[in-house]
Amino acid sequence: MQSIGMESNWAVEHLQVIRTLMERSALYRRALAPIMIYNGVVGLAAAAAGWGLRVGSPRGFIIFWAAVCAVAMAGSFLLVRRQALKESEPFWSPPTRRVTQAFLPPLAAGLILSVVVLAGVDSAPAHLDKVIGMLWLPLGWVVLYGCAFHAAGFFMPRGMKLFGWAFILGGCGLFALGIPDWTRPLVYAYGIMGFFFGGLHLAYGIYLYFTEKNGNEP
Amino acid sequence: MNPEPFLQLDRVIHEKGRLAIMSMLAASPELSFTEMRDTLNMTDGNLTTHIRTLQETGYLSVTKSFQNNRPLTTCALTAAGKKAFSNYINLLEQIIRQNKA
Repeated sequence: MQSIGMESNWAVEHLQVIRTLMERSALYRRALAPIMIYNGVVGLAAAAAGWGLRVGSPRGFIIFWAAVCAVAMAGSFLLVRRQALKESEPFWSPPTRRVTQAFLPPLAAGLILSVVVLAGVDSAPAHLDKVIGMLWLPLGWVVLYGCAFHAAGFFMPRGMKLFGWAFILGGCGLFALGIPDWTRPLVYAYGIMGFFFGGLHLAYGIYLYFTEKNGNEP
Repeated sequence: MNPEPFLQLDRVIHEKGRLAIMSMLAASPELSFTEMRDTLNMTDGNLTTHIRTLQETGYLSVTKSFQNNRPLTTCALTAAGKKAFSNYINLLEQIIRQNKA
């Protein structure tokens, strides 16, 4: 009787080990700290530059942040590629494919939304163009970016989904608040972008820098 | 208790190191040597030995290539490997069910 129980326990433990290994194998395991820190620095620098240069028209704001997004994505791509080369591993690995596929739908929605707003913002009533282009759209970006991270979080280390939730809840919360009376749209818009795409990335990157084991563990 | 499922377990897969390799490859179309070595905390020699055994059994295929002038070894389960792994899991589940009954 005892041997029957032992055999059952052994089989359960074996299945648990198999499940854990299968999950680990499917996880994206590149070091994320450098990527997060890089994006944080780019986000903060861009927010400061945009505010300093007074890029204040909705159209200019959207084009400016589209360019920043391109720089951030290109840099992230190079960092991931460098890590893959350093470890003699394929860049386009199955986990990388899964993470990219998870990221794509919300990011594509953000891109389509931006193009629609860019095309129509000039014909919006004068008092609405800044609200649409410099408040609603950036908050839409924040929420969709959070959705992208949450989706990719299923194939990434724990914590990434929480990071996504911070964007989603933060973005929705600011939607509800609207533009406070004490601030100007320009300052507020760049403040939102700097806080979410700069500050949050940088803070999480610094946290990961001190917590990621060997830079490659899930 | 019917000992048959236990006796049917594939001895090649049943070894701890090889089971770990098979489990990882079952969840991914292919994995590099370094990726498996780092995840499983195995030495190069140990992993090479297990991979060779699985390859000789026909459960695993090894591809050697070059990426930016650096050698890259990737492994993937063969159709026979996928079938054997699936049978192994089924037998484990059968053992658990049998002992619960």
